[in-house]
Amino acid sequence: MVSGDHSSRQYDAELEQMRSRILQMGGLVESQLKLAMEAFETADVEKADTAIASDRRVNELQLDLDMMVNHVIARRQPTAGDLRMVMGVAKAITDLERVGDEAAKIARAAKWLKEKASGFRMNRIPDLRQSGEIAARMLHRSLDAFARLDGHSAASIIRDDAGIDDRFRATLRQLITYMMEDPRSISSAIDTIWAAKAIERVGDHAKNIAEHVIFIAHGADVRHASPEEIERAVSQG
Amino acid sequence: MSAAMAAPMTEDRRLPLHRRRKRVNAVALSLSLAAMAFGLFWLIWILFETIWMGVSGLSLQLFTESTPAPNVEGGGLANAIVGSLLMVFAATAVGTPIGIFAGIYLAEYGQRGWLGAVTRFINDILLSAPSIVIGLFIYAVVVARVRSFSGYAGVLALALIVIPVVVRTTENMLRLIPTALREAAFALGAPKWIVIRSVTLRAAMAGVVTGVLLALARIAGETAPLLFTALSNQFFSWNLAEPMANLPVTIFKFAMSPFANWQELAWAGVFLITMGVLVLNILARVVFRRRN
Amino acid sequence: MEVTLRGGAAAGGAAAAAPAPSKVSVRNLNFYYGKFHALKNVNLEIAERKVTAFIGPSGCGKSTLLRVFNRMFELYPEQRAEGEVLMDGDNLIRSKQDVALIRAKVGMVFQKPTPFPMTIYENIAFGVRLFEKLSKAQMDERVERALRRAALWNEVKDKLGQAGTSLSGGQQQRLCIARSIAVRPDVILFDEPCSALDPISTAKIEELIDELKQDYTVAIVTHNMQQAARVSDYTAYMYLGELMEFGETDQIFIKPRRKETEDYITGRFG
Repeated sequence: MVSGDHSSRQYDAELEQMRSRILQMGGLVESQLKLAMEAFETADVEKADTAIASDRRVNELQLDLDMMVNHVIARRQPTAGDLRMVMGVAKAITDLERVGDEAAKIARAAKWLKEKASGFRMNRIPDLRQSGEIAARMLHRSLDAFARLDGHSAASIIRDDAGIDDRFRATLRQLITYMMEDPRSISSAIDTIWAAKAIERVGDHAKNIAEHVIFIAHGADVRHASPEEIERAVSQG
Repeated sequence: MSAAMAAPMTEDRRLPLHRRRKRVNAVALSLSLAAMAFGLFWLIWILFETIWMGVSGLSLQLFTESTPAPNVEGGGLANAIVGSLLMVFAATAVGTPIGIFAGIYLAEYGQRGWLGAVTRFINDILLSAPSIVIGLFIYAVVVARVRSFSGYAGVLALALIVIPVVVRTTENMLRLIPTALREAAFALGAPKWIVIRSVTLRAAMAGVVTGVLLALARIAGETAPLLFTALSNQFFSWNLAEPMANLPVTIFKFAMSPFANWQELAWAGVFLITMGVLVLNILARVVFRRRN
Repeated sequence: MEVTLRGGAAAGGAAAAAPAPSKVSVRNLNFYYGKFHALKNVNLEIAERKVTAFIGPSGCGKSTLLRVFNRMFELYPEQRAEGEVLMDGDNLIRSKQDVALIRAKVGMVFQKPTPFPMTIYENIAFGVRLFEKLSKAQMDERVERALRRAALWNEVKDKLGQAGTSLSGGQQQRLCIARSIAVRPDVILFDEPCSALDPISTAKIEELIDELKQDYTVAIVTHNMQQAARVSDYTAYMYLGELMEFGETDQIFIKPRRKETEDYITGRFG
C-alpha cells in the first residue's frame, strides 16, 4: 500500500508526518519500557525516575497525534486504505500511551522495592524476567510490523501473546510461595505483582497494535478471531 | 528570479501604461458616441418629418372617406387603410401556420439529412429575395393567368414574404430551447409530437410570436409586391377578388402627384404606416419580455 | 427473478450481507457512439429497492450507461447499444414494447432542473395524462401525493397555479423528481442531480433519495464520491467504459478489491 502519490501533496505530507510521529512515539515508549525494566532488575532509582519522567513526553506526543488524526479526518475525508491507516493510528496511539503508563508503573514498583529492601530479590524471579523480555520483544516487533505494514509478522505476534499469560501465572505462583513462606515479604510481593501485571498488559497492547496492523494492511478486523481466521486474513489480499 | 520580478508593482511603473490606455479608451468612446449620434440624427429627422408632415393631415375624414379622384377636394384613406389591414392580416394568417410548421420541421426533424438542409437553403434565399421579384412572380403565375389584379394575389405575395421570416425565427427560437428540456419530456414517455407541442413550442412561444409580429411589421410597408398583384382601387371595397386599395401603393401614387390634397394624404399615409410599424415593434418587445 | 449479487462485505468483518433481489440485470452491454466504443462488456446487477451509485472520472461512461436503461440514446441515430438489459424478464434494448411505456417504468431526473413551461400542477399532471385518464379529483390527489413524496408539497401547496420556473433551483429539481414519481415508475435514474445545486438543496435531495428507495429502485450517477458514499447501498466504479469494480458501498469505501478503485477513491489521480 502506497502512502504517497495523492493528487494533493499536502495530504501526502500530512499522512507521512502522522506516520513518522507515531513511530517516534513508539520508539520513545520502547526505550521507556527498557529503562523501567532495567531499573526493576538492578533496583536503580535513578533509572526509575528517568523512566517515570519520560511519560510526560509520551503524553505530549499522544495529544499531538490525536490532533493530527482529527485534522486529517476533518479535512480529507479519508477512504479505503487511508481511512484504515488513520483509524489504525488513532487506536495505536492509545495502546502506546498505555504502554508508557505501564512502564511508569514498573518503574514505580522498582522504587518501592528499593525502599523496602527486603531480604530476597523479588525482582530476580526468572519467569518475571522472561516475560519482561518477551513483552519488550513483542512491542519491538509490533512497531516494526507497523512501520512496514507487515501482516504476517503481525499475525505471529498475536500468537506469542499466549506465552506471556502463561508466564504471568507462573510468576504469581512463585510469589504466592514466597508470601506463604515469609509473611514479612507480602508487601514487596504485592509490589512485584503490580510490575508483573504491567508487563502482561504491555504484551496485550503489543498484540493490539499487531491487530491494528492487520486491519490497515488487509482490511480485516481480527480482534477476537481464531488463529485460523487470522491466518486466512493475512494470506488474502 | 530577479528582485525586480518578485517585488510588488509600484505606482510609477503602472501609471504610464494606464494613462495611455485611458486615452485610447476616451478616443474609442467618443468615436462610438459620434457614430451613434450620426445615426440617431437621421432617424430623428425622419421621424420628425413624418410626424410633422403627417399629423397635419390627420382628421376624422381620413378614416371615413375613400381616396378622392384627381382634382377633387377632400377625401380620405379609408379604402386604403381597410385594404391594407385586410391583406396584411390575411397574409399573416396564411403564412404563419405554414411558417411555424416548417420551422418545427427544420428544428425538430430536419437537423440531419438532405431535405432539411435544402429547405433551409431555399428559405434563406427567399428571405433575402427582393420583394419586387416576389411581386412579379405572383403576377406571372396568378395575375396574368386570371387576367386580373386582385386582393387575393396581393395576399399571396405578402404571404410569400411572411413565410421565410416566420420559418427562420421559429427554427431559431426552437433551437434555443435546451435539449435537456426535450429529454425530460421524452423521459416521461411522451411521444415526439407531444414533446414538441406541449413543451418545446410552448417554451419558445414568446420568440415565435415575436417573429410573427416582426413579419407583420415588415409586410405592412411593402409596396413592390402589391404593385403587381393587388394594384390599387379608387373605391371602397371588401372584395378581395378585385384590385384592392392599400396604403403603400396609394402613397406611391399620391406622393408624386401635382395635387396638394393628394400629397397631404400621402404624408398622412406614411405617418399611419410608420406609427403602425412602431407600435408592432414595441408590442413584439413587450410580448417577448413578459412571456420570458 | 431473484439473482444473487456478487458484492460481499469487508473480509473478516460482519457476515456477508444477505443477497438482495435484482431489478435490472446488465449482461455483456456494449455501447457505441458511431465508431467509438463507449461501454465495453458491462455486467452488473441493480438491486431492487436499493440505491446503486456510479462513480468514475469524466468520460468513463457512467452517464452513457444510465441512459441505456431508459433508451434515451434512441433520440440520437449514431448511438447504439448491444447486449442485454433485463428488467422483469424483458430485454429493454430489444423490447417489443413501445419505448414510451418503458420510459414510464424507468424515470429519469437530469442534471439541470428542467421544469416545463407550465404551472406546477400541470408539470406533474403532464406525465400522468400521457398514460392515464383521471378525473379532476383523482388528478389532484395524484399531484398532491407526488409533491408530498418529493418533500415539496408544503412549499408549493398554495401556489400550484404558478409557473414551474418561478421556483428556486432546489425546488425545481424536487419538482422534476415529483414529476417522475407521479407516473409511478419502478426505477428512477438520477444523472448528477445535485451538481447544479447548493449544499442545503443537495442535502435535502439526498435525504429524499434515501426515502425514495423504500418504494423505488434507484440508480444515481455522481462525480462526487462523498455523495456516493453517503447515499448508496451499492457502488460501481467505472473507467474508460469498463466496469472496474462493483460491490457494497461499505466494502468499496473501506476495502476496495482493485488498486484502480483504491487509487480513484483516495484521490490518487496521477
